[in-house]
Amino acid sequence: MFKTIKKLIKYPRVTQDYPKKPVNSSLFIGKPVIDKDKCTCCTECSLRCPSKAIYRDKALNIPYIDLGECVFCSLCEEICPEGAIKMDTSFELAVRDKNALRGDTIILEDKDITEEEYEIVCGDVKKKIAKLFGRSLNIREVDAGSCNGCDYEINSLSNPFNDIERLGIHFVASPRHADMLLVTGTLTKNMELALLKTYNATPDPKLVVAVGACAISGGIFREAYAAGNGIASVIPVDVFIPGCPPRPQAIIYGILKALSKV
Amino acid sequence: MTHEIYIEVDKSNIEALSYFLSSEDFPLIFMFANDERILSKNYVIYYVFRVKEEEKLLILRTNIYEEDMSFTSISKRVPAATLYEREINDMFGIVPIGHPDLRGLLFHGNWPTGNFPLRRDFDKSYKPKLIKDKRTFKKVSGEGVYEISVGPVHAGIIEPGYFRFSVVGEPIINLEATLYYTHKGIEKLCQGETIERCLFISERISGDESYTNSLAYCLALEKIAGVDIPPRGEYTRIVFSEVERLISHLGDLTGICLDVGYGFASYQFNMLRGLAFNIADELCGRRYLRSVNKLGGVRKDYILGKEKSLIDKLSSIKKEIYDTEEIIRSNSMFIDRVENTGLLSRETAKDLNAVGPSGRASGIRYDVRKNLPYSSYNKLEFNVPEHNNGDVNCRMNVKLEECYESIALCLKSIEVMPEGKLAESIDKFEPYKEAFGITEAPRGENIHYVMTGENNTIFRYKIRTPSFCNWPCLCYAVNGNIVPDFPLINKSFNLSYAGNDL
Repeated sequence: MFKTIKKLIKYPRVTQDYPKKPVNSSLFIGKPVIDKDKCTCCTECSLRCPSKAIYRDKALNIPYIDLGECVFCSLCEEICPEGAIKMDTSFELAVRDKNALRGDTIILEDKDITEEEYEIVCGDVKKKIAKLFGRSLNIREVDAGSCNGCDYEINSLSNPFNDIERLGIHFVASPRHADMLLVTGTLTKNMELALLKTYNATPDPKLVVAVGACAISGGIFREAYAAGNGIASVIPVDVFIPGCPPRPQAIIYGILKALSKV
Repeated sequence: MTHEIYIEVDKSNIEALSYFLSSEDFPLIFMFANDERILSKNYVIYYVFRVKEEEKLLILRTNIYEEDMSFTSISKRVPAATLYEREINDMFGIVPIGHPDLRGLLFHGNWPTGNFPLRRDFDKSYKPKLIKDKRTFKKVSGEGVYEISVGPVHAGIIEPGYFRFSVVGEPIINLEATLYYTHKGIEKLCQGETIERCLFISERISGDESYTNSLAYCLALEKIAGVDIPPRGEYTRIVFSEVERLISHLGDLTGICLDVGYGFASYQFNMLRGLAFNIADELCGRRYLRSVNKLGGVRKDYILGKEKSLIDKLSSIKKEIYDTEEIIRSNSMFIDRVENTGLLSRETAKDLNAVGPSGRASGIRYDVRKNLPYSSYNKLEFNVPEHNNGDVNCRMNVKLEECYESIALCLKSIEVMPEGKLAESIDKFEPYKEAFGITEAPRGENIHYVMTGENNTIFRYKIRTPSFCNWPCLCYAVNGNIVPDFPLINKSFNLSYAGNDL
């Protein structure tokens, strides 16, 4: 008992104060960025990209990277003969609109309401959510066919370093108690029904956050016969968190983004 | 480097030969089929036996001709073959005659009939529509028997799987685990892909085994290319493998303590795991050690200039584990909970070929790093923990002791690491060559079989992660235990669903 108490008081608070204080991300490997001036359009990167996430912008004739499909392997940085691709150190990559992850200039047809109109439409819902959820949020995690990397990172949210409960966010055991679904994985054939049932069992209003490249687009597995193209093909998604797997802080950022707190 | 002995055996002799071979000295460790119709106009089934005491694999190859798509099942005498045979039945439509349980393994009865994904004439881009679910379960009947069904979405933050417990009162009398919810079709995806791309796919087979999986893949291909890895590259690989093992084992210890409701110890181990993740972050900028391996070595010099901070951090983690171990061992309530819980007998472990810490806790003396050494493990001194009781306590002890060994191995590798090159470049792989890459993953023996195709592509990539062998063991270990102990037993095995389902 004495030893236990000794251990307990030995350590000062190890919890990082993210998002109040920024994290030192100098060691992190973040997203790939293409230097458009250096690029000679040799297509080496788009041919060899393991996730086939590098496309060509037809209007400007330059390559762009779909961060929803990127697995952040940094192979493109290594093989680019001109050194035009660099991995930066950013990790706060979560977005509300999947199209924002695509780096191209083409505006997709199905996005006919502008960002402002979208804000007005969703404004009422948001107020309602803020009123209903107050300062606390209950999350149910669903693995729809991931490699377990994202799940381990979600698990890490409750370790002493991140301690997500300090933000009033809890993980619950049943979708019936949840306000938010945190979904990982490509949505495999065998999990389709289970995910739909979980979604329907969650009371309204609910938020859905897709964690990781697989959940956004199917990632590196999207061509496999039993893998899907991400969870957005079955249920509506509010926030997309790219990464393979995204860091715990990136997931916190995404969750808070869904609540419009950042 | 392990040596592989290939022997062609006629289909009619395989039964007698595998009965004769399969014993403690020649355990069946792997079995799979390959569609080699474009090479020799037939399918081939591989039976891989490990020759104990010698660093050798004995591989029996049997031809299966298209006119007669069946073979004799060996499951009745060699229980380790049961799941492999069901897998071959699902993936190739080659029927194991005399198999005791031929229900669908991968598709839960919802797969349209006549589609065999791993046959080469199955179109890779075709995604079949599922038919209505009609799966069947083993029925346990009798007075007072009732069933508890759990899953596939679990209460904790874990992967999907469906468990059906048959219970009388509190004790479990049968557990049927339906897995393959995360089945994506990785093996088919790799068919015909470039060797470089498959390296990145292999890193994403199972989340916390990223490094060992990619290492096994690299070992197989380096064997085909016949290159020797420079010593600095090999020792770097050992450091990464051991850091990954440390992270994984600390995660398991966290889970075991959490599942018995021992908050202090669980948070302590969780913090140590966080510190171990920081080491990984410092080494390569990633927490899951991805994009470190490349064919022929490692990408960069990850260790240079970081030796001192690495040694300091590892030593402090070692001291903390030691202190925490002392505290949990003196807690009689905790020991009472883990001792004699989830017994896996040596006999069962041997029959089902239990690997890794779960096997070592049940008295199986086998560690790939010692018995089939790869990288430079044979040049380093280390101990493999030996326990015999096969309960949660033993599995926990194996993991605790392996944590110390991993830290010691890291420190030793940093010490003896010579200067020099990190990787050999490999330009071309000869087509239609085959090799096995075997590594010791945190969960146990990990086997990858690779056959190259033309133009640096993959012809066949077969993966067997340790979880595949250990899942049936879990189903035996829970028998006789009470339902509330299931999470604890499950955590002590800590099996990967994704690594099993592929």
